[in-house]
Amino acid sequence: MKAIWRIAKATFHEALRHRFLNGILIFAILIIGSSWAFTYLQPGAELKMLVDVGLGAIRFFGMLIAIFVGVRLIPDEIEKQTIHTVLAKPVTRGQFLLGKFFGGVATVFTNVALMGIAFGGVYMIKAPEFREILPEKGTMISMEFMGPNIAKAIGLTFMELFVLTGIAVVASVIFSWVLASIFSFFIYFVGQTADFLRELASPEHGADTASTIIFGVLYRILPHFEIFDIRESIMKDNFVPWSLLGNVTAQAMIYIVVVLMLGYLFFNEREM
Amino acid sequence: MEGNPVGLIDLSLDVEEGQIFGLVGPNGSGKTTTLKLLLGLVFPTSGSGEIFGYPLGSLSYKERIGFVPEGPYFYDHLNAVELLRFYGSLFGMGGTEMEDRIEYLLKVVGMWDRRERKTGNYSRGMLQRIALAQALINDPDLILMDEPTAGLDPIGAIQIREVIRRLRDEGNTIFICSHLLKEMELLCDSVAILNRGVVCRQGSMEELLAGEDSRYLASFRRLDEDSRQQLQSLAEQIEVKGEQYLATFADQQSAAAAGIAMIEQGAELVEIAAQRLTLEDVFIEAVGGIPE
Repeated sequence: MKAIWRIAKATFHEALRHRFLNGILIFAILIIGSSWAFTYLQPGAELKMLVDVGLGAIRFFGMLIAIFVGVRLIPDEIEKQTIHTVLAKPVTRGQFLLGKFFGGVATVFTNVALMGIAFGGVYMIKAPEFREILPEKGTMISMEFMGPNIAKAIGLTFMELFVLTGIAVVASVIFSWVLASIFSFFIYFVGQTADFLRELASPEHGADTASTIIFGVLYRILPHFEIFDIRESIMKDNFVPWSLLGNVTAQAMIYIVVVLMLGYLFFNEREM
Repeated sequence: MEGNPVGLIDLSLDVEEGQIFGLVGPNGSGKTTTLKLLLGLVFPTSGSGEIFGYPLGSLSYKERIGFVPEGPYFYDHLNAVELLRFYGSLFGMGGTEMEDRIEYLLKVVGMWDRRERKTGNYSRGMLQRIALAQALINDPDLILMDEPTAGLDPIGAIQIREVIRRLRDEGNTIFICSHLLKEMELLCDSVAILNRGVVCRQGSMEELLAGEDSRYLASFRRLDEDSRQQLQSLAEQIEVKGEQYLATFADQQSAAAAGIAMIEQGAELVEIAAQRLTLEDVFIEAVGGIPE
């Protein structure tokens, strides 16, 4: 465990120094901050825009950071040959893989947290304005669960990026980092529309046998990233139950364990 | 196929404890592959190997080895102390034991004064020293080195050689892969020559450089015509280099007799010595000469 912790710590400190990463973070915070400017809209629409832009930016830029960090963690070590001096020590390849993964996850978590704090700040400043709106001046908005729901949404975004980082790390063990990036983006975007795959696989929607098998398999093996998105519930101010969070987190955990085991099988056989 | 990496074929090396062993060979001969096999970074397609009785890749022997890579690169956001702490922690080291060891090693490799600088700002020579220090963090019994003096300036190379000799004198076993034959000749106690994945010569440096039929060389100055003629009749071969006459003799007695005769005739004896092959001579012969 100590080896994993040490490698994760070194990975985290090194990843935080990436200028590209810092650039994305600053840009994301600017976008989140700019949601302040939507004051010309109707109050209901303004709130919707604020939440949509804020949470959307966290998800989008978090996705970029997760893929950018994930696909470079191991290829950089191999390219610079720093992996040789680490694996020459009493460190297994499994420990190395996990150390790099958790270092990457810590980096993603820190970035999501910073974006979340920025968004939380904007929301906290703007929220009282919406609460004070009188019905005759604009749309009456229910905001009973909005604050906690936003926190839950950020937590789920982190879980989503946790899975995506794992996919990116494992893809980079199997492919080149460029191909791993393309693969990770593809998985992310297809994973957003997993329900569509189910429809494509359904004979009731006119799918032939081959389509049923192909899309059916894809539906079962690809991550269902849409389950991490609760923006619709937030807009309707529906209470997002803790059981949903537990269920989604459990699914993410199972998925990441399977993905990392697959990555370990490839990484263990890889020649450096 | 020249210059391309090749596989290793039936590699068997006799490395004695407490010596500096050199594995030399042209580029692509399999030196780095050998090191990677020993470190478990690549796998044999067939067969097996052991270090300290443990199979290749096992963590058990990695507790007892150190590795100095060629052209080392480290996490450049760390300074020397932080880097050694990182590597030390992978051995479960910590506390004052580790801090003392780090101070000792940085002083040994001459980097104590520059310990606060980030490794990203180090020169090639400094990185090489740090590479040596990280390899020694666990006080290993066996140290594997890939081109440890490549790219260093002459002073840096001398300092690294001194450290390597000191490690040998302290009882460590050192295994060096290099194509720098002069360096290896100065450093190693025994050598194996690897060519196209096959060990073609192996033995102690003394044995290899002695050659099969040793000759003696004597050099003279200020020879008159009579002396020159006499030297020609005594020596197997004479070569003139400027003012010096270099004569080759079949044995020690002939060389000594010629030396006395020349001195008696007023010539100056500059040097008389056994002719030693260089590692380069042995290497060229072992790999079948220089390709045209």
